[in-house]
Amino acid sequence: MDVANLASQLNAGLILPEGIVIITLLLVLVVDLIQGRKANRVTPYIGIGGLLASLGAIAFQWDNPVSNAFLGSFSSDPLSLVFRAIIVLSAMVTIMISIRYVEQSGTSLGEFITILLTASVGGMVLSGANELVTIFVALETLSISSYLLTGYMKRDPRSNEAALKYLLIGASSSALFLYGVSLLYGLSGGQTELVAIATNLAASDQSLGLVIALVFVIAGVAFKISAVPFHQWTPDVYEGSPTPVVAFLSVGSKAAGFALATRMLITVFPLLTDEWHFVFTALAILSMVLGNIVALAQTSMKRLLAYSSIGQAGFVMIGLIAATEVGYASMLFYLFIYLFMNLGGFACIILFSLRTGTDQISEYAGLYQKDPLITLGLSLCLLSLGGIPPLAGFFGKLYLFWAGWQAGLYTLVLVGLFTSVISIYYYIRVVKMMVVKEPQEMSEVVKNYPKVTWDLPGLKSLQVALVLTVVATTLIGILSNPVFTLATDSVNNTPFLKLDLARTGTQPVAVLPEAIAPANPL
Amino acid sequence: MNLAEGVQLVSFIILAVAMIGAALGVVLSPSVVYAAFLLGAVFISISGLYLLLNASFVAAAQILIYVGAVNVLILFAIMLVNKREDFQPVKFAWVRKAVTGGVCAGLFLLLGTTIITTPWAFSTETPIGDDAIYLIGEHFFSDFLLPFELASVLLLMALIGAIVLARRDFLPDAALTSDIENLKLPERPRELVSAAKTEQ
Repeated sequence: MDVANLASQLNAGLILPEGIVIITLLLVLVVDLIQGRKANRVTPYIGIGGLLASLGAIAFQWDNPVSNAFLGSFSSDPLSLVFRAIIVLSAMVTIMISIRYVEQSGTSLGEFITILLTASVGGMVLSGANELVTIFVALETLSISSYLLTGYMKRDPRSNEAALKYLLIGASSSALFLYGVSLLYGLSGGQTELVAIATNLAASDQSLGLVIALVFVIAGVAFKISAVPFHQWTPDVYEGSPTPVVAFLSVGSKAAGFALATRMLITVFPLLTDEWHFVFTALAILSMVLGNIVALAQTSMKRLLAYSSIGQAGFVMIGLIAATEVGYASMLFYLFIYLFMNLGGFACIILFSLRTGTDQISEYAGLYQKDPLITLGLSLCLLSLGGIPPLAGFFGKLYLFWAGWQAGLYTLVLVGLFTSVISIYYYIRVVKMMVVKEPQEMSEVVKNYPKVTWDLPGLKSLQVALVLTVVATTLIGILSNPVFTLATDSVNNTPFLKLDLARTGTQPVAVLPEAIAPANPL
Repeated sequence: MNLAEGVQLVSFIILAVAMIGAALGVVLSPSVVYAAFLLGAVFISISGLYLLLNASFVAAAQILIYVGAVNVLILFAIMLVNKREDFQPVKFAWVRKAVTGGVCAGLFLLLGTTIITTPWAFSTETPIGDDAIYLIGEHFFSDFLLPFELASVLLLMALIGAIVLARRDFLPDAALTSDIENLKLPERPRELVSAAKTEQ
């Protein structure tokens, strides 16, 4: 194969979004190197601009008929495009809300943005990776940059503790994942492409090895989406990390995990569909129940959102388990909405902690008299996370539960409904703390609240991010049709999902696993 | 069994015994330094196994990377942290050891059964031997191009991250005089309520 022939087969244009982000991160690095601390005025905006350009490149590829690049190791189908857009958007909002936070802590901003951009490159490649080596390298790029970001406030023992915990648990889960992947390589007779593995596995008998590989792969994926019982790192890491990093981990990193789960489990394990659906049902129920119940007892806002994000991951899993067209579409729809409501909530928390230096829930008492913007934004985002109509989160949950009910997942939907009610309680507790308190019940911190100004460098972009995400959270609920269509189209036009839906039967009723596939004896 | 097969079998047994012995030493040795050196021995025995499998490039890479880089790094880390501290013996420490041993034995049995019962698909191609390095290079620039290039981004970021974590930060005077705590989270640490109550 000569060079010209190879270059024409690579379809390298399909990774243009990733390429733009990589060029941006190099640019940030060089500008930061040349200008020193003065560069803090420029570098975040270079980062945001690059991510916007990357988003444009993603939108431009929407109708591209060719989706396979790099000889099958990367596929840029509509599903991966949606996931990549979610990751890029979350990285963009994260940069916007992090500028003031990082500068106030005295750490360097250029490197922070560089590492964050690398993490999003890892997540983006992971969303489209179609081959085991690419999957693993992308996963490690995402994970290692996340560890570094977690420990970024290096003089703070909490940050150190979080980074160490995340590193140790993450490394062991990577090792498990790698072991599972190596079993797949062996069982398929030395294939690394997901489709080729599935073909070779279908030709051979089912074996214990395949089940072990499935278990190990699920362990690796569940760590990324922090599903119970692989969630132990989440509360401590969320509490000790810089808050913008938590925002990215809870949205971008989680979306990448879901992209990996969808592509890998559906493509490689059609033989074990019942089994992995069963495992994910257990994970979803545990995540919803434990995440939402433990969140009731939290006193710190960051920990509260950590447990709430565990619960939210449980809700999203319902869409994946439903395995219908609407199921996958509702998963994408919910992740897209979750992006705005969660990042909006984090923007408010960051603003509050920058002004007062605390994130205790009790300190929010009586905030509405001093800072109506934070109160309004945080209330809307939390109510949306809880699923109160007419906010976006309500429609997202409705769609998820409807898809689950249609697919016959009655237990799962009932548990979801029940835990949503619990979650509304702890979200409203925070809203009540901010809004209902009388002036004399105000917390000390709020009494001494500084005058609201937006003059300090970096606060303007935080304000813009806050307003944008809150507006999106409010309006997407009412104007959900375009997003809805986008999610459905991306599921319909994605080759591997089409194959899967054709195999299981497109009728939503027929997705009951017992109805279509004769039980495969192990 | 001809002479070549006999030599192969004997060297396999020697390597396996050396590897298992050294690995047990890593886990059981009370001294961290001995454990680190024994880890090097494990890596070298593994590279010997690769040689037996006709994969000389992997064997060389194993020694270069694991013994030359990873193990030396571990030894450096041990030398930098040479604070001697006598720990209180933990009560019921044997329970922990027994449980760990039990879990490990269970995992070993499970994986062992998997390996024995699985009908592995054996490749019929002759091993490529010393030409493997050319083939690896071709793969790097054809179907493994994307991970290969992505790994360079990963390494760049790891380099930057290591520098960020290790360098001594320059704090401008303006930041020092203000009441903001530098290089720390803006949120105050939680007051540990339960601990404070027990002290009173």
